Amino acid sequence: MRTKLSLIFTILMVSSMILAACGEATTPPPAEVEPPAEATQPPAEATQPPAEATQPPAEEPPAEPVSIMVWHMEQPPYRVERFQELIDEFNAANPGIVVKQEPQNWGEIYTKAPAAFSAGNAPELLFAIPDFTPIMREAGAVQPVEDFVNEMDAAHKFVPSAVAPYNYDGHIWAVPMWNMVHSLWYRKSVFEAAEITPPTTWDEWKAAVETLNTEGQYGIGLPANKQLYTDQTTYDFMINAGAEEIYNSDGTLRFDNPQTVAAYDFYNQLYQFSPPDSPNWMWGEAEACFASRTCAMVLQFTVITTYETQAEGDAADLGVVAIPHSADVAQSGTIAYPNAVMLLTEDPAKQDAAYEFMRFLLQPENYGRFLNMEPGLYLPVTDDGGMADSYWNDPVVVKYKSQIETMLENSKNGMLFGFTNGNTFPSIAQISAQNMLAQVLQKVVIDKMPPADAVKEGQEMMEAAIQ
Amino acid sequence: MRRFWRSLVLFISVFGLLFVVIAPFYWIFSSSVKRNQEIIARIPTFFPKSFTIQHYQNLLASSDFPKYLMNSTIVALLTMIFTVVITVMAAYAIYRLKFPGHKFLQRVILVTYAFPTILLLIPIYMMLSATTPKLIDTPWALVIVNVTFAAPFAVWMLQAFFKSIPLELEEAAALDGAGRIQTMIKVFLPLAAPGIASIAIYAFIFSWTEYMYASVLIISDKYRTLPVGLAGIIGQYQVDWGLLLAGATITTLPVLILFSIVGRSFVQGLTAGAVK
Amino acid sequence: MFWRHNRQDDSPPIEFFEDAHARVKHERYSLTEPTPPQRKRRRRLSRKQTDSLLGLLLVAPLVLWLTAAILYPLFSAIRLSFLDTGIIGTGGKFIGLENYQFILSSPDFWKALGRSLVWVVGNAVVQTLAAFAAALILMQSFPGQGVARIWIILSWIIPTVVVVIIWRWLLGTSGGIVNYLLVSLGILDSPVGFFSTARSAFASVVFINSWRWFPLMTVILLAAMQGIPQELYEAAAVDGATSSKKFTNITLPALQPVLFVLGLVGTLWSINVFDIIWLTTGGGPSSATMTLPVFIYDMAFKGYRLSRAAAASVVMGMLLLVFVYLFNRFMSPPPETD
Repeated sequence: MRTKLSLIFTILMVSSMILAACGEATTPPPAEVEPPAEATQPPAEATQPPAEATQPPAEEPPAEPVSIMVWHMEQPPYRVERFQELIDEFNAANPGIVVKQEPQNWGEIYTKAPAAFSAGNAPELLFAIPDFTPIMREAGAVQPVEDFVNEMDAAHKFVPSAVAPYNYDGHIWAVPMWNMVHSLWYRKSVFEAAEITPPTTWDEWKAAVETLNTEGQYGIGLPANKQLYTDQTTYDFMINAGAEEIYNSDGTLRFDNPQTVAAYDFYNQLYQFSPPDSPNWMWGEAEACFASRTCAMVLQFTVITTYETQAEGDAADLGVVAIPHSADVAQSGTIAYPNAVMLLTEDPAKQDAAYEFMRFLLQPENYGRFLNMEPGLYLPVTDDGGMADSYWNDPVVVKYKSQIETMLENSKNGMLFGFTNGNTFPSIAQISAQNMLAQVLQKVVIDKMPPADAVKEGQEMMEAAIQ
Repeated sequence: MRRFWRSLVLFISVFGLLFVVIAPFYWIFSSSVKRNQEIIARIPTFFPKSFTIQHYQNLLASSDFPKYLMNSTIVALLTMIFTVVITVMAAYAIYRLKFPGHKFLQRVILVTYAFPTILLLIPIYMMLSATTPKLIDTPWALVIVNVTFAAPFAVWMLQAFFKSIPLELEEAAALDGAGRIQTMIKVFLPLAAPGIASIAIYAFIFSWTEYMYASVLIISDKYRTLPVGLAGIIGQYQVDWGLLLAGATITTLPVLILFSIVGRSFVQGLTAGAVK
Repeated sequence: MFWRHNRQDDSPPIEFFEDAHARVKHERYSLTEPTPPQRKRRRRLSRKQTDSLLGLLLVAPLVLWLTAAILYPLFSAIRLSFLDTGIIGTGGKFIGLENYQFILSSPDFWKALGRSLVWVVGNAVVQTLAAFAAALILMQSFPGQGVARIWIILSWIIPTVVVVIIWRWLLGTSGGIVNYLLVSLGILDSPVGFFSTARSAFASVVFINSWRWFPLMTVILLAAMQGIPQELYEAAAVDGATSSKKFTNITLPALQPVLFVLGLVGTLWSINVFDIIWLTTGGGPSSATMTLPVFIYDMAFKGYRLSRAAAASVVMGMLLLVFVYLFNRFMSPPPETD
């Protein structure tokens, strides 16, 4: 009894001490922040520890650092680390600005970013893909950045297709940073052993998948999750069936068409040779399946890092080709995601600081290092960045140079649903936020619904979502 | 002979029970020290053939696990304190002082669980971002929510202990001229201590395991709690099972240690209430 | 910081705990001392009033806390459900009952409700059976019983995220031990995706959730079972009652108050389970595990129909209140004498 009581008491004591400590740490600042800000007049928004403000009383007061928070979705530790190196360099070179990063998750950011904005906790810079931007715009958060994009275009020359998906309603809503495209990945030795050549058409592809589906090896790994990765692979099939247009030019939907049905039908045929857990897959599982030799082929942005660190890492054996296309289509295409950064602050001082940081990232000598936080995944979207030594001299890029060149080649036929053919339909955000391409796929491969019916239901679902 | 069969059945069922609860933990602990190739090998190994602490090093080097651990601990302790203080006071009032409406409260307290947690998520978010100073994105936001959801059950848990303490003791103290508050503090609470320990631990564990609110109400990395930090490394682009298993292990260890100290109080506290 | 203030002013010094028992004993003696009846009466009266006052005072923090953290948000959620807000943080205009019309006529809502019912029943069955079995096993005496009674709770004290990681790892197809064991024991021909078909995904999530929750039920049941006087069993044994008779005639009735609360709270908790489902299957495959909370979350944050989601959750809340009423009405244990 006594020991228990003393235990409880100790816990209570210790915790109340912590509480007291917290209480003291959290309560006073609001009271102390205001006076120095008023006293030293410059940018009012910068909150700063009083200690620094009072340090040099007589001399010229140092400009209060403008703090810039960056949210991105590049969570893997080594990506965060590389980004931090660049941030540290930038901060060291720009004493007036403090940039910080906070990695987020694609699964949560659609909830968190609008919520954070409405609570007044939004970051100054937020990475985006084209169909995320309309949502933040609707939340009233995004600032137009065409002046800055034009300035960067003059200096570095953007690839036009990287800017287009962010250019609508008379403004440009984000600064392009990199591009991502899918390719078909395989092992040359596996193909040679089975005496097959890399497929270019659907017939060849299906034959290859069937041949390679052996004991302990699945012919291909294709996801069927209600998630972004499945949207992407599904759209790969749609492009290569000639169904890349989801919208008519007047903004009505044309999802329900024979080419789309053919795409879903063929996806379903290949899916039969995919591992049983593919309905739960995100990008990582596909890579792991390929790395462990369980999957003979995968559709993926890149597998280079996993292949290098978790598999054999033999650059000569890693094969990559464009995604095969149907007989009705002339050439292969792929989904392409031009990633960009949105500016979420109205404060001119913060805007300038944010521009300064982006200017720094897009400098060719930094840009290559920035992109190589995941070698091969992020393809350059500026002309001088595409030629930069900082990009091509990375050891991993040197090792896998031929694969990366193939990916760059594939990126020339990249498109994104809702942003094809020079049109931009922001309402695609509703469709992609709910992963509707993937939902339709699930109807086909899991509920075993005939593709034509599933696509018809899909169109109805999409119409309801964008009304 | 019958006795033998009886012990055999007992042995098998005890073993089966412990297997169901403990085997999964063995499997993640042992896998977390294997090298990557062995982790994802098609034929699993029951005993690690390779040994590496690389995953743990990666984890500690690349994420802020110590910080998450600290945050989780602070939030859990604050939740525990607030829950204990307000529920003990309330439970004493409800079960000992017949104030008007105590019967109603007694019945209605658990009904708070009928409001879907998901329903409250959005308004709570908005409410906490409207306060001055803003409570959103501070540990206090989580404390407020955790106490809310831990308290009703804690009040119920206290009922059994409180009822088990004879009324006469307090009456006696009263006759001695002790006031109510004095009686409560000097006579009643010491006797109820095991029960209070149990709800303290309950509140701690509740807060320690909470995920949904922690993932939405905390925005900055510096206040992130362990479950959310761990969910962060589940990763979208790569499945690094080694890192994940190491993370799961490290997240489990503190509660193992805590529970090996206070676990007995928790279980015996519950029992004490029921026995009397 | 009322509590800090309290601690300093009202809480006893540590030394007091040391002699609490002695004091109690001493006070018990004083009970036998005769007291003038008149004085006692007057004192009681005033005492009753102060008790009421003190009672209200002591219960106030909890009531205020719950009001602020539940009732207020509840009202703003109801308000939200009459607007047409889409994205969190944006405004909306009043559209009356339109959201409710939409929800009640949406087949997806009813499907999710159906799944929630199956989910609750499935969890209740699995957890009750597991908890009773575990409690009965732990009631027996065996070496290490004390330790087993404590550590049975292990799967409940770890964060749900860890639970999810463990089971995704165990049930996976590559490297997953369960598949490997089933295949090598000849039960399966080839690895199955536990989360890949509608039924197996649902069953797996029910299993995982039950694995997490049954220990708490076990410990509470175990505590209650230990509270049943041993003499009852001994008397029944004399009458020649079998073990199953003893269980139904003695154990179950004695556990009724506890079972009532576990049934009530357990149901409400399990219908509200979100994180385990969300982190394991995300509601899939093809919506197979999309119970109401997942449906609501999906609608609010993926579909950007915040108001509609609020309407769905208000409907869910009302259904739960009806459940609570019915459960109270028909399952309530006989009133206790106190």
